[in-house]
Amino acid sequence: MSKKSILGLFDTPDQGADALDGLHNAGFESHECDVLTGTPYPEGTFGEHVPQHRLFRFPLFGAIIGLTLSIFITTATQIAYPLVTGGKPILSIFAMLIIMYEMTMLSAVVTTVVGIIFESRLPKFNLGAYDTRITEGLIGVVVNCEEKDLSKAKKVFTDSGALDTKEA
Amino acid sequence: MAQETNSAKYSKATLDLINTTMIAPKKMKLIIMILSILSILGIIGIVLKILNGFEDKSAWGYYAATISFLLTTAAAAPMVAIAPTIAKADWVRPITRIASLFSVVGIVTALASIPLIFALPPLIVDETRRRSIWFEATNYSPHVWFALSIFGLTLCGLGLLYSSSIPDLAAMRDHGTGWRKKMGKSLSRGFIGTDSQWKSLQMRIGMMGTFYFLMLMFVNFLFSIDFALSLVAGWKDAIFPMYHAMTSLQSGIAICILAMFFARKYWGMENYIKVPQFWALSKLQLATTVLWFYFFYSAFIVFWYGRSASDQMVINLLIIGPYLPVFLGAFFLEFFVPWWILVWNRVRKSIPSLAVVACLVLIGVLLDRIRIFVISWSTYSNEVIHKKFVPEQDFPQFMYPSVADIIVFIGLVSLSTLIFILSTRILPLVSVWETHQSLLLTKVVKYVRTDVIAIGKPD
Repeated sequence: MSKKSILGLFDTPDQGADALDGLHNAGFESHECDVLTGTPYPEGTFGEHVPQHRLFRFPLFGAIIGLTLSIFITTATQIAYPLVTGGKPILSIFAMLIIMYEMTMLSAVVTTVVGIIFESRLPKFNLGAYDTRITEGLIGVVVNCEEKDLSKAKKVFTDSGALDTKEA
Repeated sequence: MAQETNSAKYSKATLDLINTTMIAPKKMKLIIMILSILSILGIIGIVLKILNGFEDKSAWGYYAATISFLLTTAAAAPMVAIAPTIAKADWVRPITRIASLFSVVGIVTALASIPLIFALPPLIVDETRRRSIWFEATNYSPHVWFALSIFGLTLCGLGLLYSSSIPDLAAMRDHGTGWRKKMGKSLSRGFIGTDSQWKSLQMRIGMMGTFYFLMLMFVNFLFSIDFALSLVAGWKDAIFPMYHAMTSLQSGIAICILAMFFARKYWGMENYIKVPQFWALSKLQLATTVLWFYFFYSAFIVFWYGRSASDQMVINLLIIGPYLPVFLGAFFLEFFVPWWILVWNRVRKSIPSLAVVACLVLIGVLLDRIRIFVISWSTYSNEVIHKKFVPEQDFPQFMYPSVADIIVFIGLVSLSTLIFILSTRILPLVSVWETHQSLLLTKVVKYVRTDVIAIGKPD
């Protein structure tokens, strides 16, 4: 059976939280429900499932790759063309630091920019059940469920004081 | 007590701010036209300078000062938003967009720095290696690594601006019209405000902000050393890169104050940018103004007390030499005058007075950059660079800017202003989602016999 989504629009955070409680009581799983807002609310405001993030991975891997590459470049070039200056060691860390810092930073920046696109689950070409009034402050509670459960979700939204509902 | 409805609370802010991108301030077309003409003249000026060649280094002094001025004002402005945002300050929300919008000026700075990179002398001059931070590195290391760093800083700034603008682009998609709606749809890339999207977005803003800070310090470090300090034989100053970075923050704050003043006056942002934002920035402006003296004096005392021939050369060349009037101008406008104006609490709460102080600081920073970079580039020669220090007879005479220098300066400043103004036709000068967040987390409450603002700090 195909999955459908239904959106309930609410005017206060309390109503949004009540709707989410109602959906859980009606048997909907946390991963089936999502809250859509025009501004970030404090975590757990609606009693919603708090998603785990792994956002640090991209910059961390980027930084490690950049650092490794820079150590390789600076070490390899200095060993390939050994020039002893003032009795100082061939591999002089202070001379290598600038390049190591810059390559680490650049690589971390580039991978973070790439990470923004991937981790935000963007681009999302199909918005699903959505209403433009969300960016005007209304709170959307969306359920992705089987078609047969749509009426059950709609009843929960109406009971919680939804201003409007939309299906997609 | 009945809970206030969200639509009543937020709708006006959304539509108000989105409308600011569509309704042009008075005489906007005329201003854009004048800035465009000046920008084209600036580009012609740059072409003329390139055609004159890179051999005469002294001809590039004012150009280096201009790049440094852009680097220290526009590139530092996003820091005004980054540091307080990381510290979870509520007052900064209405001005984060203005500050991060200066990232677009980074494109001008990065592109305009290309001719200067070509003008920078290589590490090996007349078959002898000149002193630098690059030790035995390949001949064009400063050129390559500075180019990478300034474009990296620009990418980071644009990444920061884009990250923080995604929700507003979504609002533009929902409530804009015409090409703005299309652009909002394409750039918001399906942002609908789910929990995971918000969480990811806020983390990204924090990360990009931190990276921007680290890159900005690094770019200041490379630029101040490679494009000034190492061009003057015998100038050894460990504090100078930090001085350059600190004055950069000082002028970043000044340019933000000025932009906030104009945003209120011409973009109708009086309801969003208020006295608390100016008051908070004025204290940071005062702190950086006092720090100017601390950094300057920390370097100066070493040269003054050291009394070696190269120490005396630095004082004679950079302070009491032919550029003494420029130094005094910088000293008074960057430190003494703003200090004595900003010390008064009443002035710190007066928006027009702060705009005047910001202008003085920016003129002071420009004079300081002229002093440092014009002296450095006009002192440099293939013979003098290998000496232990610059002898008095090789000191340059005071050099006035050429017509091309003036055109380039006006042109690049105009181009930067133009790009900034054009960006406000796409993004509102005050962030919509951060305005909503401010409304969400602040409330006026009764406390004993007075009213106070209670601010929620969820993290």
